[in-house]
Amino acid sequence: MAYNVLIVDDSGSMRKVMLKTLRLSGFQLGECFEASNGRLALDVLEKEWIDLIISDVHMPEMDGIEFLKSLKKMPMCSNIPVVFVTTEANEDRLKQLLDLGAGGYIRKPFRPEEIGTLLSRIMGGPNGFVARRNSEGCDF
Amino acid sequence: MVLLREEILKDVISEVFETMFFMDVAFEECQGAGRAFEYESETRLENNEGCLVVAMRIGEKFARMISANFMGIDEARTKDVDEDELVDCLRELSNMVAGGCHAHAGDSDWKLGIPRAWTTASGHGDATGEVFHLCFTFSGEPAGSAALRYLPG
Repeated sequence: MAYNVLIVDDSGSMRKVMLKTLRLSGFQLGECFEASNGRLALDVLEKEWIDLIISDVHMPEMDGIEFLKSLKKMPMCSNIPVVFVTTEANEDRLKQLLDLGAGGYIRKPFRPEEIGTLLSRIMGGPNGFVARRNSEGCDF
Repeated sequence: MVLLREEILKDVISEVFETMFFMDVAFEECQGAGRAFEYESETRLENNEGCLVVAMRIGEKFARMISANFMGIDEARTKDVDEDELVDCLRELSNMVAGGCHAHAGDSDWKLGIPRAWTTASGHGDATGEVFHLCFTFSGEPAGSAALRYLPG
């Protein structure tokens, strides 16, 4: 089974790196969608089937924390796993992400295998993924 | 505000280049005020006492190489890295170095700023409050320098 992924980062090069990393990690990648901030990511979620979100924290317009809060208010999307990839080192802010319902986080710089290990845990292993959202998609 | 030691900055820079850009740099004695490099990026760590600026100055050839490596572009096609991508990669570089400094310093009230980058020809660069700077080479050639600046609040 291949998973559709939404990569949210204001850096175009970082989005390319994430895509490359997902491929290198052995993750079963389906379609990949991109957004440069949380607001645009919500627009993508309105239109596309997404199984996993990988997001930056520091972004203009709508940052990762506000994006996560908005996502969690949407009953039809609230269970999509969100993984943050960030340079943030403040333990309180990282804990806040988990408290808000993030599936996990990885600090930059990272190695592809770290991404693979975390995604495997979050998605329940290569074959263990159970769809976490309503089959009708997100309801805005 | 905790000031970072040179050794910590060296460790962080080495880790970022090795892990994300797949390159090993060597540190060397800076000649005078350091060589002129074509690009500069910086990320600020701020708290209510002041601001620590992590600045990276990178030569164009090396900037193209690291950008290509970062994005998975073949090394023979470094000329295909366009200017926007190159500047974007350099922003990520200073962002990751500043984030690494933050993690090593363990000063939790620092807030990481939004990274910026520019060409040094544009005249944006500033050495105000410079605490120290380090120069590094790649394959024996000058590649860039890193500077730490402290601006009291």
